[in-house]
Amino acid sequence: MARSPRSPARLIVALAVAGVLAVFLVYTALAGNSTPQVEPTQLAAQHPGKISVVGSVVGPLRGDPHSAAGLRFGLHDIGKQGPVVQVVYRGDSPPPLFAVGRHVVVGGTYAGGQILGNSILTKCPSKYTASPTKSY
Amino acid sequence: MADLGRAALVVSFGLALYALVAGGLGAYAGRRRLATSARNALLACFGSTLVASAVLATALLRHDFSFVYVASHTNRTLPTAYALSAFWGGQEGSLLLWLLVLTGYGALAVVANRRLLRDVIPWVVPVLGGIATFFSFVLVAVASPFQTQTAPVDGAGLTPSLQNPYMMAHPPLLYLGYVGLSIPFAFAAGALLSGRTDERWIVATRRWTLAAWTFLGFGQLLGAHWAYTEVGWGGYYAWDPVENAALMPWLAATAFLHSVMIQERKGMLKVWNMVLVALAFELSVFGTFLTRSGVVNSIHSFAKSSIGGWFLAFVVISSLFSLALILRRLPLLKARTKLESALSREAAFLYNNLLLVALCLTVLWGVLFPIVTQLVKGESRTMGRPYYDFFLRAFGLPLLLLMGIGPLIAWRKTSVRSLVRTLAWPIAASAVAGAALVAVGAGSSSPGLIAYTFSAFVLGTIAVEVVKGTRATGSLALLIARNRRRYGGYIVHAAVVLLAIGIAGSSAYSTTREQKLLPGQTASVAGYHLTYLRTDEIQNDPNRTGQYAVLRVGGRWHGTLRTGQVTYTGFQETDEDVGIKTDWLRAQDLYVIANFQQSSQAVYFKILVKPLVNLIWVAGFVFVLGSLVALWPDAREQRRLAARFAPAHA
Repeated sequence: MARSPRSPARLIVALAVAGVLAVFLVYTALAGNSTPQVEPTQLAAQHPGKISVVGSVVGPLRGDPHSAAGLRFGLHDIGKQGPVVQVVYRGDSPPPLFAVGRHVVVGGTYAGGQILGNSILTKCPSKYTASPTKSY
Repeated sequence: MADLGRAALVVSFGLALYALVAGGLGAYAGRRRLATSARNALLACFGSTLVASAVLATALLRHDFSFVYVASHTNRTLPTAYALSAFWGGQEGSLLLWLLVLTGYGALAVVANRRLLRDVIPWVVPVLGGIATFFSFVLVAVASPFQTQTAPVDGAGLTPSLQNPYMMAHPPLLYLGYVGLSIPFAFAAGALLSGRTDERWIVATRRWTLAAWTFLGFGQLLGAHWAYTEVGWGGYYAWDPVENAALMPWLAATAFLHSVMIQERKGMLKVWNMVLVALAFELSVFGTFLTRSGVVNSIHSFAKSSIGGWFLAFVVISSLFSLALILRRLPLLKARTKLESALSREAAFLYNNLLLVALCLTVLWGVLFPIVTQLVKGESRTMGRPYYDFFLRAFGLPLLLLMGIGPLIAWRKTSVRSLVRTLAWPIAASAVAGAALVAVGAGSSSPGLIAYTFSAFVLGTIAVEVVKGTRATGSLALLIARNRRRYGGYIVHAAVVLLAIGIAGSSAYSTTREQKLLPGQTASVAGYHLTYLRTDEIQNDPNRTGQYAVLRVGGRWHGTLRTGQVTYTGFQETDEDVGIKTDWLRAQDLYVIANFQQSSQAVYFKILVKPLVNLIWVAGFVFVLGSLVALWPDAREQRRLAARFAPAHA
């Protein structure tokens, strides 16, 4: 039985998928922009390089992010009272929602037992979280 | 009253389960009366869910703090509109809204299509019943909005940044979109189960899909505008998992809306369409899993809850069900015709689909990457903005170009010469636009320049089509009225072009500077001169404290701008009140954020000039207009479809 001529649709799909995979592999191999995301208690196991640390801000907040000494504060795991790791943040002013107790993501490096931060994201208060409860 | 709500939910669960089991049996055994009773159970399920919803809404409006949910999300000072919006402000209420919309949509879709799809509907009912069973089970057993307690004097209130008109509309619009995607999925599954895989299920659900897609798209733009004006970071989209959760099903639904046109016209891509409609539905539920499980880190503070496991189980089971069904019915999904040429409208639609799905899966990979790396390497790694930006350009720019080529290229096949002749005017327009942009200095960003040039090309193709069509019919109104779907689509394409121009302009050509100013000092940014005059404290306001910096602006615009930080009574959270001046003449925003220093008079001002950002918001309205035109009932289309499908159920 003679085979029916193949539709170019399959070829197009195959080439497209191959093309996408190729772009993807080249990108992840060459650019590889992924960053380890850890909590303060996981920092000890970190290798040198870029990291982002998710935690809850511990006061006091000291200094100025625009100065050489930077803005200093602590971070501990969200929802836990674990060990506090110190952060020295230098850069633009932190976001307006930044405050003690706020959940943040600090980007930077980890060296000498402290985080040298160059970016701060404050988590946006959003749905499905309980609002701060008043005492009755 | 809580007892009534609980009872209504239990009834909803029972009715949904009956629709699933009895509907399945009735359809399988061909027992018409059983199938009809299952359909009626689905309709009644909407009624009982409506009762439960009315109970919760009443409790919210009456500040009945004996409901744990009401006490957790409202307080006595909350304005009525926001008290009502707390319905979807928390996990349990939002799930109830989901069930309400699902059963309402389901009842309407089943009743509206009972004649056109007489043999498919008996199978659609158990599928919708299955989805409703899951949600009503979660509401009854895992996350009930009707838990009670001894009523406290007052409730905890709603987070201030959510007390915003955008937040009243953004979540329900997303739910209308997410849940709306259940309808085409249920009809596709019904078509597969019944073996009736012709185009009728697509015709029956086209408007449902389009409406869901419109809600989802507009809801995302509203959320982006809220982030831009309220959160105070100067951006509108952060490629965050929670934001991506809404983008992924929208991309899959966009691909589906295009590929069904090929199936309707040519009888091709039947398997692909089934895969796409299942993908869109599964991604909408997966998004809910992401936002409720806390499995990935997000800049949105979502609580970790046990509900995520239930959603993951549902996604896995329904995905396996869809996959098995498609594989089982593969023989019925053979194409009627074949793709004749790689240079044809069918092929252009196929390329469009591949790019959309590639972008969707790339975003999904970025979202899942932390979970995968945690499982494989024991270390969670996240993909940052460069990853997403790279793929948005890699897939988005060709997609933009195809948006211009696709509608003008001939069906079946064409030649390169013929295509160039057809596209001569748009090519000329884009060449002129590109040269002009380089001349004014827009060449500083290659992706921005390409996006603008392609945008000019697409607008050129739309203009050519509209001019040709208007000449032929003699009137633009008549032209659109005669083919609402086509011209509604062009309006939506114009909206996407505006969106592309807005995104390219505001990201590739924006200027940002942070400067410390003392009173009387001036900062100059992109032609604007901002002089810090003074700080005003908020006085005599029992609800809020804080301060505003007042700036005099000169240069490109003259006036004053206020920007400040406000803390609401009872909340520790500080809200940024951003100073935004929209310069319509230059189509750009001057955006100022103040960061006050406790120990000095100096204020750090972050000043952003964002060209064309407002086109993104304008695009939202054009998008809705185009969708409405495409959705509007068309008597000519109805007659054509009636004639086409009459023999199928005669």
